[in-house]
Amino acid sequence: MRARSPRKPLVSFLQPYLLIAPTLILVLMFNVLPAIRTVSDSLHRPARGLNAAGKAPDYVGLQNFQDLFDEAHYMGARFQRTFRNTIVFALATVVIGVPLGLLLALLLNHQQPLLGLWRFAVFYPSLLPLIGAASIWSFIFSDSIGLANAVLKSLGHPGLNWLGDRRLVLLSVIIVNIWKQAGYFMIFFLAGLQNIPRDIYESASLDGASDLQQFAALTLPLLRRTLLFVIVVSFIFAFQTVEQLQALGEGGPNDSANLLLYLIFQNISERRNWGYVNAMTIVLIGVVLTFTVANFLLFERDESN
Amino acid sequence: MNNRSGAVLRQIASVTKTVIAILFLIPLIFTLLVSLRPETEPVTKGNIFFGSELTFENYQRALVIAPWSLHYINSIIFVAGTLLVQLVTVTCAAYAFARMRFLGRDLLLMIILLQLMIPSGVLLVQNFRMINTLGLFDTRIALMIPYWGSAFGVLLLRQTFREVPIELEEAARIDGANLAQVIRHVYVTNAIPAYLAFALVSVSTHWNEFLWPFIITRSEGIRPLTVGLNKLIKTTDQGAFYGQLMAGTLIVIAPLVILFLLFQRQFVESFARSGIR
Repeated sequence: MRARSPRKPLVSFLQPYLLIAPTLILVLMFNVLPAIRTVSDSLHRPARGLNAAGKAPDYVGLQNFQDLFDEAHYMGARFQRTFRNTIVFALATVVIGVPLGLLLALLLNHQQPLLGLWRFAVFYPSLLPLIGAASIWSFIFSDSIGLANAVLKSLGHPGLNWLGDRRLVLLSVIIVNIWKQAGYFMIFFLAGLQNIPRDIYESASLDGASDLQQFAALTLPLLRRTLLFVIVVSFIFAFQTVEQLQALGEGGPNDSANLLLYLIFQNISERRNWGYVNAMTIVLIGVVLTFTVANFLLFERDESN
Repeated sequence: MNNRSGAVLRQIASVTKTVIAILFLIPLIFTLLVSLRPETEPVTKGNIFFGSELTFENYQRALVIAPWSLHYINSIIFVAGTLLVQLVTVTCAAYAFARMRFLGRDLLLMIILLQLMIPSGVLLVQNFRMINTLGLFDTRIALMIPYWGSAFGVLLLRQTFREVPIELEEAARIDGANLAQVIRHVYVTNAIPAYLAFALVSVSTHWNEFLWPFIITRSEGIRPLTVGLNKLIKTTDQGAFYGQLMAGTLIVIAPLVILFLLFQRQFVESFARSGIR
């Protein structure tokens, strides 16, 4: 768009490249190249890296992946349990968290007394570090002195082993995640609601439509795009929010509440299974990539320009 | 009839709102109360909310266990160092993509946008390897460098820069402004709300970061608050000292909560834009 200065053609030719170079190089170094190396390392064993000093890696084809999908293999059993948990975790966040976010947006959309306080009450969890949120809830869920069991006991129930019982740990992690994300989902819905013109409600009211009818016939259809967007985003996020496990049972017992990225993290910390770690990362990238591309195709394409 | 059902609905809405808000606030309130209870008193003793007295001893103990002031400084350096470099890289790239024509522009933008599809958060293994290759393990640079390029920031500012009238740039050029001056005085000046949005998202994301700092650092001297909190969690495992854990948690989360109270509206708006992160 800018006219090139005829006196300095080379400089003005190079200028845009110099401007984008830092970002481009950093993305190549920390996103693109690592992604390519993940693919290559997932096909090797022991993969190039720290635990293979001096020894050339063996090319094993898809063996690492085959092991991951083999229930009898120790890593395969861990991976499959963890992958199932991650799907349950993501679906629960979507099925409960997203409607809750929508409900909150509907409740807090209109001007009302103390609006700032209401919004703070439901939004502050999304600002906390996951590990801080987990720390708070580790106390609420703690066996003998926790709030959750204090409530249960006052109702005559003996109390539950929230972070020790294999059937309950994942539930605890899901509860924390919904508490943490609902306010974040709310703001997308608030933005969506703000885009709906006021006057269509007025004419609907004049036609005698009740609030519920208006919600079903107007609000929900008009929010369809936002709803889809939040569902996709919350699914992608669910695959990346795992730090709370550090304080909420550490994926145990027996990986009963482990999540994929956390399993990867555990294996990095223990400095082993390099090939498997890379293969699992490929699966994780596959899921995130699929949903992000779907998101892009669904929403960005007609909004660009 | 319509009015009456509307009134009932409004009452249901108001009750629902109150119940949800209380449920959401309980963890925070409870954390505060427990942090102020005498350590030796179990929660079940006496009043469920207050112990026999209010005390700050948990804070004093939490302060002894981890060097919080050091972690605070580390977190501030991490967050500020990340943001400052991001602001420069993002501004330059956003201007080029918004207002310059050059060979391969769309392809290069696509490559940068790959970051949104393959976030560095899931590339822990290979980025760990990359940092080791660069000899940066356990340095402050290692914490920040993967975030110095930001596709989200480029996208956000490119959009904003495109909305700046081109006549402003032309006028500045006629007045003899060079490229740096044009970017600074025409574009940056007109994109302050977008910068604020980007800064809030960047600061809160990195302030809360845990996995990457935990993997890539070893020295207490450079580890941020979240890693310090992790240490407190691990030493308080199995229940005995929840008072000081809650005190430590509040020490870590306080700055963002205060920042939010100051910038509530901007926070909500910037987070609404961060879905493409």
